Amino acid sequence: MKKPVLCALTATMMAVSLAGCGSAAPSSSAATTETGHAMPSAAGGKTVVEVWTNDRHDLDYVNKKTEEYNATNPDNIEIKQTVVTDDYFNMLTMAKTSGTAPDLAALNGGAAQFDLKVFAESGIIRPLNEYLENASEEYVRNTDYKDRLFEGMNALGDDIYWVPTGQRSGTRVLYNKTLFQEAGLTEFPKTLDGMVEAAKKITDAGGGKFYGYAATSSSPAERCMEGVAEKSGQNQYGYDYANGKFDFSGYKPIVEGFKQMFADGSVLPGSQNQQVDAMRAQFAAGTVGMWPNASQEAGVFTTQFPIDSFEWGVAEIPTLDGMVHGAQTAVPQKGYMMFADTDVPDAAWKVIEYFASEDFLKGYFESGFSLPSSKHMQQVVDSTKSGRIQDFGTYDYESVYPLPPSVTIEGEDRRTVLWSAAMGERDIDEAIADLNKRYNEALDRDVAMGKVKRLVIKDFDPLHPNEGTVEYRNQ
Amino acid sequence: MKTRHKKGGIESGGGVSAALMMFPALFLLVVTSIYPFLWMFRYICSDYNGFVSYFTGPQNFIRMMNDQLFWQSVVHTFEYAFLKILFVMPLALVLAVLLGQKILGSGFFRAVYFMPTIISSAVYSLIFGFIYAVFNGSLNAILSAMGLISAPVDWLGNPDIVMLSIVIVAVWGGLGNYMILLLSGMSSISADIYESSKLDGANGIQTFFRITLPMLSPILKVVLMLAITTAFKDYQSIMVLTNGGPNNRSQVMFSYIYQVVFGTNAVIPQIGYGTMLSVVSALIIGVVTAIYLFISRKLDDVV
Repeated sequence: MKKPVLCALTATMMAVSLAGCGSAAPSSSAATTETGHAMPSAAGGKTVVEVWTNDRHDLDYVNKKTEEYNATNPDNIEIKQTVVTDDYFNMLTMAKTSGTAPDLAALNGGAAQFDLKVFAESGIIRPLNEYLENASEEYVRNTDYKDRLFEGMNALGDDIYWVPTGQRSGTRVLYNKTLFQEAGLTEFPKTLDGMVEAAKKITDAGGGKFYGYAATSSSPAERCMEGVAEKSGQNQYGYDYANGKFDFSGYKPIVEGFKQMFADGSVLPGSQNQQVDAMRAQFAAGTVGMWPNASQEAGVFTTQFPIDSFEWGVAEIPTLDGMVHGAQTAVPQKGYMMFADTDVPDAAWKVIEYFASEDFLKGYFESGFSLPSSKHMQQVVDSTKSGRIQDFGTYDYESVYPLPPSVTIEGEDRRTVLWSAAMGERDIDEAIADLNKRYNEALDRDVAMGKVKRLVIKDFDPLHPNEGTVEYRNQ
Repeated sequence: MKTRHKKGGIESGGGVSAALMMFPALFLLVVTSIYPFLWMFRYICSDYNGFVSYFTGPQNFIRMMNDQLFWQSVVHTFEYAFLKILFVMPLALVLAVLLGQKILGSGFFRAVYFMPTIISSAVYSLIFGFIYAVFNGSLNAILSAMGLISAPVDWLGNPDIVMLSIVIVAVWGGLGNYMILLLSGMSSISADIYESSKLDGANGIQTFFRITLPMLSPILKVVLMLAITTAFKDYQSIMVLTNGGPNNRSQVMFSYIYQVVFGTNAVIPQIGYGTMLSVVSALIIGVVTAIYLFISRKLDDVV
């Protein structure tokens, strides 16, 4: 009797594992991938618009609103949404080459794996200009899209490929008010030196029980060394826009500050090897004075790791001298790009307009999924409903930098090298010289190869990075 | 059933049915192994980001030859594989011998030691991440309670010991698997031989060296080869535990290739260069395996 059972079990396991292989493709709606292009004549004569997204945190809300829309819209449009979280941009490319691309794909700015220029020039997506010119008043009012054009991120020259509806705040420093008091600190410092000192004081007061600052292994340079650099006038990409080349020299004093914090022993031991959630748990447990991260932490510390035992504040990132010399990156979120092959561009545009309608966005922002980026939506949203995310509210100095050319560098990337220098693993001057050399070599080579163009903004102003005259050069 | 009895039916009918039976496996092999392998060669001399390919001639090869990070990762791979096999094989053998005996609870312990094999390496690596934590980590807590250390050890952040920490996880994860393979090999050794050796008065150690080990050697050879190739290809737990750090001290060939091919959050994917590195890594592992097979054959001749 044992053998048949064993056989059946093995067969089942093999079948399951094969099915597992198959499900590498988007799985939430089987119909989506099988039907390929949305055919205008789907169920009940409805026009089906297929939408892919890689956002999961807002899924319940988006699904609810999508169902509402499907049931009530006068244009007989049906939105079919598919969630693809792993390897999103590769999956989009593969879908395009295999003829199963959706009509729209949601995206957030700042993903290094997404190169707008490549998507646009390969004919995967199409510009939205003709629709934007005739966009409804509500759409223009809710998105302020003319003020939300970022070269290389959602626009290339005059061509606009997607329009963000929300944004993530720039990096902030969350701090434990109780530990600040215990260390005799009354307010959050405005300068980097002040922060380094505060971290030391907290650590000294902790006597091994709590520490001043926590790092993490998940993109550590981003939290918050890059923010400090940007507000101090050195953009995170290390790109000298006025001269069209890379120059990381401005990072030196900032890296030195962070190195000092490690040298003082003010960073939670071992935190640089721990994943972000482990460090969130430490902050929530009250063992860390300062924890740098952006607006997503509002939800984390109210639901995922709720903090009840102490009060926490949200501070602006410090700068070298306490003054703001450059814009800090606040990543644009939640836009939709339209695939070039779509059979239903007009219906797809209507869906984009719906996702930017006040009806949709008001609830979206009030649920705390993102921060409103247009003046109108900022006024409309009832911030008392959105919880702690209001503490992460935007500042005038927050903006988005034009994306420098994506070059094929040899060796380690800028974030890895600079953080490595901050941790004292390599000499700061040597690290900066190495980055300057490798990034410029790669830029020169890729420009010569015709792969990228040199971006030059002669009148570049770090405080208003998007207001300069963009110029692309072949040399 | 009838065809079986026909003259020549076995050969002709058997050929077709054999081909049919082999087809699914062959199809999968071609689609999932051979085709991707050949596909790699398309981009070996290109700068390819997944969309547009730029021919760069020998650029990737020159870069690979001068790529310190890659060659460092090759050295680390050898270091990791050597350390892992050095510990995992003797331990697996000892466990297999101990648990191969019909003693009370051996089935239970077999299951316990085999358990890590069925857990995803990403999951247990994450758990080890907590065990190794410097601040409030359980390993440091135990060691300091025993009075073995005075200050917490940075298991994953100290370049001098990070490799050892990773090898401990690898040994823990691989031990049960090799133990089961060796146990199944040992079960094929006839009980009569053990019985007669017992009658001749051989003790446990003599039995192990004179009977178990020589009779296990064909299986042991295969298991060792599997262990070597697996150890050279391991990178999952490294990606979770250290992601190659600190300062690339635990970077192995495949974790480095992964970063090159899929990009990081500050650099775009470099598939062209990644294919070059993959081919070179495959060659390295191939050479190591060939050397091992050559040596083991020579040893056979001697024995």
